[in-house]
Amino acid sequence: MFKNVRDYLEKLKKELQGCDPALIQDALSDAEGHLRTAIDEAISKNPDQSETEVLGPIIEKYGIPSEIASAYRSIETHITPALAVSTRPDKRSFWGKFFGVLAESRAWGAFFYMLLAFIPGIIFGGWALFAGLISAFSLLFIIGLPIFGLFLLSLRGIALLEGRIIEALLGVRMPRRPLFLKKGLSWSDRYIALVKDKYSWRALLYAVLLFPLGFIYSGLFSLLFVFSLGFITSPVLELVFRVPLDLFGDNIFTPVWFLPIVSVAGLLLLPLTLHLAKLAGKIHGRFAKSMFVRK
Amino acid sequence: MAYTTDANKKFQKELNSGTAALVLLSILARADKPMYGYRIAKLMEVDEKNVPMMKQGALYPVLRSLESSGLLESHVDPSISGPPRRYYKITETGLEALKNWVTIWDQTKDFVDDILKGKNDV
Repeated sequence: MFKNVRDYLEKLKKELQGCDPALIQDALSDAEGHLRTAIDEAISKNPDQSETEVLGPIIEKYGIPSEIASAYRSIETHITPALAVSTRPDKRSFWGKFFGVLAESRAWGAFFYMLLAFIPGIIFGGWALFAGLISAFSLLFIIGLPIFGLFLLSLRGIALLEGRIIEALLGVRMPRRPLFLKKGLSWSDRYIALVKDKYSWRALLYAVLLFPLGFIYSGLFSLLFVFSLGFITSPVLELVFRVPLDLFGDNIFTPVWFLPIVSVAGLLLLPLTLHLAKLAGKIHGRFAKSMFVRK
Repeated sequence: MAYTTDANKKFQKELNSGTAALVLLSILARADKPMYGYRIAKLMEVDEKNVPMMKQGALYPVLRSLESSGLLESHVDPSISGPPRRYYKITETGLEALKNWVTIWDQTKDFVDDILKGKNDV
């Protein structure tokens, strides 16, 4: 019925059509890992048998693609990312929605992702830039080939880790399993497949872009947060602690009659910042998904 | 005949949907080290004797579901012989859930057994 594992995976992919691409990638990864281990074990017991011969009974136990697809579909409806978007229609008023964001875990998740984006930006982006340059330079010598291969592999690990952070904080479903290379290939063919795989390069591009993006996100959102907190507490800061907000120049106190207006502006700026974080998180999540998930 | 087979399959599937999670938690609670999907499936194969409880492939989404509920945790390790493997381990919350589930299971089993054996005939 199935010639090889690839054939089975193709059918499983077809059966999972319409599902979340990240779920499809996980299901294919689970199936590939299981079937390959089972085949290896069966062939080690009966070395005369081919992959096609041992595959039949293995799939009989594992399940045909339609059964497996249905199992993933039924379970996936119960699993949503930690901070997933609610599918219920939002019937709140405009102001209800505007201030309601303060109680939304997803908005705070996105806000903290944005606020701290400089950390993965420095680590992932820094690694991609420096290790990338060093491994590219080492390609001038023969020893550079394995170094460059290891560098590309490390990028896949980074992509998986960043995907987990994005799913937890931005609520965007991302792959939970690593990408595999085809099995049975020689070391040189594996190396070529790794270099040729566009996902290796996409992960590199993402890591490099995260470097400036991380600083932009963190800079913008820390500024907005500090401003909104400063505005809200301006009456206390200026009247009690005598700390000027410097709105009208260096060390010039805001007129007392203007302080309530500044405070209200701060109260509006804080939810606005969270709405902006949600929007930025949504766009960034989509961008990351388009870079990491196989279509 | 076709109806009977379909009905049996449906009944088995409905039974499995809850028991698979209990079985997997129980296996992982007994394991002295983290286990990957294929090993768990092989272990169940030995335990289930002649009655296949569920297709091995259907275990993976259940493992995933248990992990997303915080009852299991996992990590990926490279394998010398093949693709990287995901190793699962039961969490403290998982152990606690297992304890409660076993109690629920025992109560359900006793209740169904009593009904099937006609102990409480009217």
